[in-house]
Amino acid sequence: MSNDPYKILGVSPNASDDEVKAAYKELVKKYHPDKFQDDGMAEIAQEKMSAINSAYDAVMEARRGGSVNFGGDHGGYQNNVFDSRQIRSLIQSGNITQAESLLNNVPMDSRNAEWHFLMGSVCYKRGWLNDAYNQFSAAAQMDPSNMEYVSALNQMNRQRSGYMAGGPAGGMPQSNTSFCSCCSDLICADCCCELMGGDLIPCC
Amino acid sequence: MFGYIKPFKPYMRVFEYDIYKSVYCGLCKDMSRRQGFVTRFTLSYDFAFLAIMDLALRQKKINAKKQRCIAHPLKKSLCLCGKNSCRYSSDTAVILTYHKLKDDLADKGIKGKAAAAVLLPFFKEPYKKARKKNLTLAKTTERLMELQRKTEREKNASIDLACEPTAQMMSAAFGGLSGDKQTKAKLKRFGYLLGRFVYLCDALDDLEEDIRKGNYNPLKEISGDKKLNGEMLKKVYAFTDMTVNLTLGAMAEVYISLDIKMYREILDNVVYLGLKNVYNNIKEKKEKGEYKYE
Repeated sequence: MSNDPYKILGVSPNASDDEVKAAYKELVKKYHPDKFQDDGMAEIAQEKMSAINSAYDAVMEARRGGSVNFGGDHGGYQNNVFDSRQIRSLIQSGNITQAESLLNNVPMDSRNAEWHFLMGSVCYKRGWLNDAYNQFSAAAQMDPSNMEYVSALNQMNRQRSGYMAGGPAGGMPQSNTSFCSCCSDLICADCCCELMGGDLIPCC
Repeated sequence: MFGYIKPFKPYMRVFEYDIYKSVYCGLCKDMSRRQGFVTRFTLSYDFAFLAIMDLALRQKKINAKKQRCIAHPLKKSLCLCGKNSCRYSSDTAVILTYHKLKDDLADKGIKGKAAAAVLLPFFKEPYKKARKKNLTLAKTTERLMELQRKTEREKNASIDLACEPTAQMMSAAFGGLSGDKQTKAKLKRFGYLLGRFVYLCDALDDLEEDIRKGNYNPLKEISGDKKLNGEMLKKVYAFTDMTVNLTLGAMAEVYISLDIKMYREILDNVVYLGLKNVYNNIKEKKEKGEYKYE
């Protein structure tokens, strides 16, 4: 899907206002979410609808004299770089498909750390956790000083090593911790301490 | 694809285990009564979990009586009573099992095919009835089975995409437990991630067989190499470990946010211990050739 509002509505930029309106009405009829009984389809239709609505708004706004601020193609926004505020709010409101299509329209060479972070968030919301992990790692690698990216990656790293929020502290009974290994760990720690000049267990 | 959602019995208290069993028992009887005698034999623990989640969300107290049942004709065991207590789970079981059997008939080995061919006729009528009552779930499942076949045909190497059909199916099944918009969204994510876990377990479980027979398996495809052995297999296991952990970690997050009060210990047991135990068992079975705690 393109982020050109005219393409979304399926009309040429030279179309008259009436033609744009007619195309818009036709699309609304086609994609109205109430028409779909299937949950998944209704969700997709919902996202499609909001894309159509914002495209229509953008076109109408522009024709009333404002500027088209809907994406890169129409000369509106910061020369090819994406509007991260818009994408963030789309992700927050659960409009994943549209957020993804906006991200996909960003050309390869302007995909910066934030792009990877946002794409990771899209994947995470979808439940595509492996893709999300890869995107977050890319973001954190490109900009290691950004706390947002790093903490997203850290959280996934914790989960990757087996952490489950709210889980019992004891964990699984098959784990290696037992009384025996507890003692041997202590003795081991004592030896280490002694090597370093200290002492953990004074009697040995 | 079934039987991966189970409690970890050694860590269950006796009364919790009784509740769990009585729900399973009630579900089995409900299937026999409403869906036909044969369908009950396909019931797996997964749907007992769905049923308990259902009861917990509706905050329904369990009314169990000692009854005889066909699996244990000599001993009376606790059985959930009440006609409506597990309707949804029983319908869901029929819908999902019907599609699984259809899938088995298309591409399982000779044994699976035979079993599916024998069982399938008994599911035709119950499926029609259950479909009528749960049109959304049935239609979603039909669409997703199509997606599943497409994924298999295309031999998709992305693990996320390979999990998608099963995950979406479970998402629809759990989403149906609540009408409230917010809770529904959380349940759908919970179901999605649980389905992802189930698919990963299934893929790991079947890995050797799929390699031998040349079937599609996303864990095999990720290596890019057709022949898997030694070093490569270890890598695949490590990858599966991380993917499963990621899935369970994200699942625990949304599970907490559901903030279920009733039957919490039982659900906790499955979510935090049971699933990990099932996964560990699959790995161990691969190493030793047998199941533990069974």
